[in-house]
Amino acid sequence: MSADAGEPFDPQGVAWRRVSPRLTTARRTVLAVFHGVVVVVALVLAALLTWWIALVAVAAVLVLAWRWWLVGRQVPAWGYAERDDDLLVRHGLLFRSLVVVPYGRLQFVDVEAGPVDRRFGLASVQLHTASTATDAVVPGLPPEEAARLRDRLAARGEARLAGL
Amino acid sequence: MSTGSVDGGPVDGVPVDSSAEVREVLADPGWKRLHPVTPVLRAWKVVAVVLVVLAQQGLDQLLQADLPGWVLLLGVVGGLVAVALVTAVYSAIAWRRTRYRIDADAVHVEQGVLWRQQRRAQLDRLQAVDLVRPLLGRLFGLAELRLEVAGGAGSKISLAYLKEEEAQQVRNALLAAAAGVRFAEGEEAPEAPQRAVLEVTIPRLLLSTLLSGLTIAVLLVLVGCVVTIVITGSAAPLAGMAPGVLGLVAGFWARFNHAFGFTVAESPDGLRLQHGLLEQRSQTVPPGRVQALRISQPLLWRGPDWWRVHVNVAGYGGENGTEGANCTVVLPVGTREELARLLAVVLPDLGTGDESPLDVVSRGLTGTGTDGGFTSAPRTARRLDPIAWRRHGFRVTDRAFLARSGRVLRRLDVVPHERTQSLALHQGPLQRRLGLASVALHSTPGPVSPRVDHLAAATASALLAEQSVRARAARAAAGPERWMDRGQVVGAETPGPLPA
Repeated sequence: MSADAGEPFDPQGVAWRRVSPRLTTARRTVLAVFHGVVVVVALVLAALLTWWIALVAVAAVLVLAWRWWLVGRQVPAWGYAERDDDLLVRHGLLFRSLVVVPYGRLQFVDVEAGPVDRRFGLASVQLHTASTATDAVVPGLPPEEAARLRDRLAARGEARLAGL
Repeated sequence: MSTGSVDGGPVDGVPVDSSAEVREVLADPGWKRLHPVTPVLRAWKVVAVVLVVLAQQGLDQLLQADLPGWVLLLGVVGGLVAVALVTAVYSAIAWRRTRYRIDADAVHVEQGVLWRQQRRAQLDRLQAVDLVRPLLGRLFGLAELRLEVAGGAGSKISLAYLKEEEAQQVRNALLAAAAGVRFAEGEEAPEAPQRAVLEVTIPRLLLSTLLSGLTIAVLLVLVGCVVTIVITGSAAPLAGMAPGVLGLVAGFWARFNHAFGFTVAESPDGLRLQHGLLEQRSQTVPPGRVQALRISQPLLWRGPDWWRVHVNVAGYGGENGTEGANCTVVLPVGTREELARLLAVVLPDLGTGDESPLDVVSRGLTGTGTDGGFTSAPRTARRLDPIAWRRHGFRVTDRAFLARSGRVLRRLDVVPHERTQSLALHQGPLQRRLGLASVALHSTPGPVSPRVDHLAAATASALLAEQSVRARAARAAAGPERWMDRGQVVGAETPGPLPA
């Protein structure tokens, strides 16, 4: 798996940090709840109206199984690395992305935690530059790591601040 | 109409206005007001909108209603007068509560009737200044001044309306202050001298509009009409086509109206653009505010060798719709020679060394493969993009990044190194199989989103690493935000040689 990970997404001398494995559980929980609701509604409707609505429930279970498996692969693929002058974020398995955000370009940093995230002790850090195309989010960080990253980014951004 | 009676408390720490303060609103000599005709113009704008809506939608229903003609007429006219009165009164109050002030560092604007707003915009963050003269404003000799700061949607500051001369004076003062030029008390900033660079003639504008993709659409619609008439034998489907045809005509008109009398000039304050038939707009983009530039060519412009140029300017990106799209055109149509003159103003130094910048750009515009020192996509890319694969490529000069693409619609994106925000490398499953990857450079919001598709994975990876080093070096060496201060920064003009 890591052998064919592809050189371009593994620059030399970069120590990647992984996101918390609890993110897998969190995302699977959300998936299970969502699909569970669909299954229940479909079964109730099937009992009340016609039997073939039950096929929707079957489909929902199949999709759940597939996404369950996918999340298990996607979460370990998230990674970030702090270098001297920029932060690298990489994600995706099928469609891979690697984003390089120079500290001097940071306009602001968001730390967010939704209800599910909080329950699992997770938070996500999002980096914003003057470009809306910058898609640099690191999900699934323990809150203290998220806070550390935020402060560090803020400090480095200040030291290297440039105009637009 | 005081805020206190509405929500009974201070808003965001802003003291609640008392009528005493309103009376003294201009006590400070630095504060100025907008032109007193403003409420009339605003009221007219609202009435015009109501009229248009009425004409488009309400007319049928009105006519169907079973009422005598004079009652209808009276109702409509009365309604319009009422709308005009209400908006005029409201606008008059708004006018009384709006004031602005410009000092050496910032523009201050206070406005709002119910929700008071005080805005302070830092002048060294000024991205562009537009002087807009709408049709009706021109009758009164009034203009609107728009200041673009890079704060996202809704961050622009609009001073509407000012007397034309005053608007020009304010613009000159703003640009001088933003540039870092100081003037003594009472002295007025003179208009910066400007030198004409190019002008788009009306015949060429008309021809170029006709030679656009819109024409192809019109022809297709016409063919469709003829075919349906022949097949069905009746002209009934024509009525169904009417809205589409109207839309196309509107498209032509919008383009013509916007680019009419387009002139580009150069001044110490930066790029000056003037254009517009009904609504005239005069834009000033200070040096170093152009974040990225795209040169493109629609298919039918190939014969006359015409090109169009769009730019990303941080403030314009926040505006949405056609407004934002119109602001970002710096050349609606031009020959290659005019393109060269424009480039010399927008990006004076492309860092091409011994080669002439036009040569490098020209090769990027029409070249394929490794023409002109470009690095192109490898042969395997033809399986993903059989038509344009030879055109995917990039070149790096000392000062800028050039991304080439498009075979049917040719395109060249230019990004100065110091304006790169962030970078990304992307790879889909097919690309991965073929050993390819795409590189994107992120710029501020706007029409230009530079991207090089289907490079060899190793090339893409190396580009990502090198470009981030180049961007950092260029940023460290970039000039100050206040462009006239440039002279004081010694030894910061050119970045040193970069590791290859």
